Amino acid sequence: MRKWLSKKKEPMEVENIPSDLATPLHKDIDQTIENVKSILGNSSDFVVREFKIGSTQLVKVALLYMDGMASKMFISDYITETLMIDLRLTDLPTGNNADSSGKGSSPNQGNVRKKAKWIKPKVNPQESDLFKVMKDQTLANSEVEECKDYQELFSFILAGDSIILMDGYETAFAIGSKDYESRSVEESSSTTVIRGPKEGFTETLRTNTSLIRRRIKDPNLWIESKVIGKKTQTDVAICYMNGIVSDKIVKEVKKRLDAIDADAILESGYIEEYIQDYPHSPFPTVYNTERPDAICGGLLEGKVAIIVDGTPFVLLVPTFIVDFFQSSEDYYQRADIGSLLRLLRYLGFFLALLTPSIYIALTTFHQEMIPNQLLISLAAQREGVPFPAFVEALIMEITFDILREAGTRMPRAVGSAISIVGALVLGQAAVEAGIVSSAMVIVVSLTAISSFVFPSPDLSSSIRLLRFPFMTLAAMFGLLGIIIGVIIMVMHLASLRSFGIPYLSPMGPLILQDQKDAFIRLPLYRLSTRPRLMNQKNIVRENTDKPSPNRK
Amino acid sequence: MKRMIPISIILFMIIILSGCWDSKELTDISIVTILGIDKEDDKYKVTVQILNPGEIAGDTGTTQPAVNTYTETGNTLIEAIRRLTSIAPRKIYLSHLRIVIFGEEFAREGIGGVLDFLSRDHEMRTDFFFAVAKDYAAEDVLKILTPLEQIPGNNIWGMIKTSEKIWAGVTSVNIDDLVSSITSKGKEASITGLSITDDPEVGSKLTNLEKSLPYTRIETYNEGAFRNDKLVDWLTEAQTRTVNNINGKVQSTVTTIPCGKNGDLSLEVFKTKVEKKAKVKGDTPKMEVNIRVESNIADVSCTVDLTDPNEITKLEKKHEKDIEKTTRDSIKEIQEMGVDLFGFGEKFKMSNFKYWKTVEDEWDEVFSDQLEVDINVDVQIRRTGTTNQSFFEEIEGNMDQEEE
Repeated sequence: MRKWLSKKKEPMEVENIPSDLATPLHKDIDQTIENVKSILGNSSDFVVREFKIGSTQLVKVALLYMDGMASKMFISDYITETLMIDLRLTDLPTGNNADSSGKGSSPNQGNVRKKAKWIKPKVNPQESDLFKVMKDQTLANSEVEECKDYQELFSFILAGDSIILMDGYETAFAIGSKDYESRSVEESSSTTVIRGPKEGFTETLRTNTSLIRRRIKDPNLWIESKVIGKKTQTDVAICYMNGIVSDKIVKEVKKRLDAIDADAILESGYIEEYIQDYPHSPFPTVYNTERPDAICGGLLEGKVAIIVDGTPFVLLVPTFIVDFFQSSEDYYQRADIGSLLRLLRYLGFFLALLTPSIYIALTTFHQEMIPNQLLISLAAQREGVPFPAFVEALIMEITFDILREAGTRMPRAVGSAISIVGALVLGQAAVEAGIVSSAMVIVVSLTAISSFVFPSPDLSSSIRLLRFPFMTLAAMFGLLGIIIGVIIMVMHLASLRSFGIPYLSPMGPLILQDQKDAFIRLPLYRLSTRPRLMNQKNIVRENTDKPSPNRK
Repeated sequence: MKRMIPISIILFMIIILSGCWDSKELTDISIVTILGIDKEDDKYKVTVQILNPGEIAGDTGTTQPAVNTYTETGNTLIEAIRRLTSIAPRKIYLSHLRIVIFGEEFAREGIGGVLDFLSRDHEMRTDFFFAVAKDYAAEDVLKILTPLEQIPGNNIWGMIKTSEKIWAGVTSVNIDDLVSSITSKGKEASITGLSITDDPEVGSKLTNLEKSLPYTRIETYNEGAFRNDKLVDWLTEAQTRTVNNINGKVQSTVTTIPCGKNGDLSLEVFKTKVEKKAKVKGDTPKMEVNIRVESNIADVSCTVDLTDPNEITKLEKKHEKDIEKTTRDSIKEIQEMGVDLFGFGEKFKMSNFKYWKTVEDEWDEVFSDQLEVDINVDVQIRRTGTTNQSFFEEIEGNMDQEEE
């Protein structure tokens, strides 16, 4: 029975750079180039530039890079120019005495002859070994690494670095020259604020780390990198505040990331699915956002951010349910209005989840609970509607979900058509045609607008999912069913943990001191301690007195 | 996993097989706001007034009335109600019941037989009121369409509720009140009366509503006094208000006292507190009723100096006397009727159980023949309104001049 559900996982056979490539480079430069070309399948974006350096004893050198991944300007200005022009007048040593392999060493020619007295050579090699001369005195780049075998060579070249091969040497240079087209820092589209920073993360990992670093100028902001995905070789950065974060959580995050054995990580959603605690729960246990300020807020509370190259969505763990009700704007505007809006979001949660089911329950089971006048008006609207309330609600909810999905997927140019169709056809025509009652339209609209009050769209998708079981329960058991559903939901929420910390905290377990920033947001001078369950070390975060005018 | 499959099948079956047993769509029910009960050849004759929601709340008005009435008979109340399905298309839904009306004839024969269903049925809320149709059958009252409030049930409910609140002419009687007063030996029930001004046939037509004051209207008519579950007599307005007053049901009312030469002065009573003390002296039961009234001066049509505290004290005394007199008279009349609407018997039961045991069975006779009622009234006039002196004096002055 279980067999067809999950086949036993077999170890992956396909690897990005086969391990048999872990062989040293050839000494013969032509042979090496030939090998690299054949492995890359003569890809058109692979560029090889062969030239010779030195004055008398010319050394054959080749520059390898991927077009579009590396900066051509950088390569010509700082690599080829240095090697071809600045070294033109320098008599270079050709041997590699220092090479530990000691193969094919040439006689030592440590002397430098000057061709013209008025031209001062740019390089004045003191070293006898060409390799060392190149590395220590010639290549004036900040990122220079040695590369000894094909496997390393490919990992550099495919990441956008340039490779310099020298004839007669088994070691090549990899020079950091990554530069590819990317989006600039723009306003985040998924979460918008009225007051607060507008910039959002981009697809480039380095830009994203800089956005965080710029906000927290503290040496304790540690960023660790990892490459995940055998084919995609995606850079993933783990970012946390050393000294604030719990070491257990960092360890757990690293452990889970290390356990990922996949060939592709195309978005942080992949990482989220691989590391989340409860894959079958409709509730997200990993938070994601496009906003650097939200990530910084999380880091300062002792959370761990996971930045994935290629996506502006940064993950934040551990995550609690209250996180989905909090907007970074809550902290930028006054505490009272921030608290009010937060309470409104909690109300919105229940409205979005339960409005259709309560409507169904009241109109099919508990008519005695509806005030007389309202019942009459509801009954008048339902007069002539051919479907039971449940079917009516189902039709409208599904139509709305289709509309919403269509609005997200369809090209911007035809977007306005959707709103016309939605407003007119669904709102007005369906009521006039007597297919649905106008009260149902109100219920669906209320549900729809309530599900948009959350700063993060993740929770509203859980609600979208849960709404239908609740409607079914309401249609079958009335309010009793709804209450049972709510009880089951709360029990499930109470059983969830995100990276070891209860999902419902600070409500379950009840932590009184953390209530200051759960349902309401107290003024900043009252938020003096970090969330207790995550922080045991560095607890106090501010110590400002309540501001008051100086009255003398 | 192997255990999960049978468990999920069982859960699925629980849901599929048991669900929906109590569900009823809004389009499958008839909302009843008034239930009328009459007697016809030893059978109950039940009339229900069913709302026509499309007519009340719909966009397009038609020429149909807002309510329809159906009548059916049966040996018991529920039998008659269920039998109504032979003429009514939908299930009779009683949760939104506002009023239960008894025909006078039926009320005189005894209403006890129907109360069991009304208090037993789970669908019923307990906030509906009772009323007795004076001189008519309940069926006749139910036929009548009402202006302003399209739903007659809400119309009558509103009349009773408002009257109870600001006039104390009638009080609302719900099922719990009624059952407890009918079963108790020391207290009798009084139920709101409803009368019709003209021919009920006329009132059942929409044309009745085309006048600003319809020919046929429903009006409240004081209260009917019950002995056990049988209607005995109709009370007068003064008697009704006295009963309500002594039962502590007056929230606000207006009393008028004579003042000056031939003028009147009305007082708005806004607080009434009644204390009843039962005493037995020798063999004579004695009831002490202390009434404390707080009122405002509401309407003056005589010459009186309201800025003078002595005048106010005089008015208070006058008011006290007035209340005492009407109360005494009304109690005497009701004592002659022989129904203890005040619950004096209950008081004796609570304060002197031994004595109560001896008179329990003939309490009605004791109440009408032996009981002495002692009434003390204390009136406080709190405010005189937004003017002090009435300009009536000046008007009168002018009139005097004209006469000269």
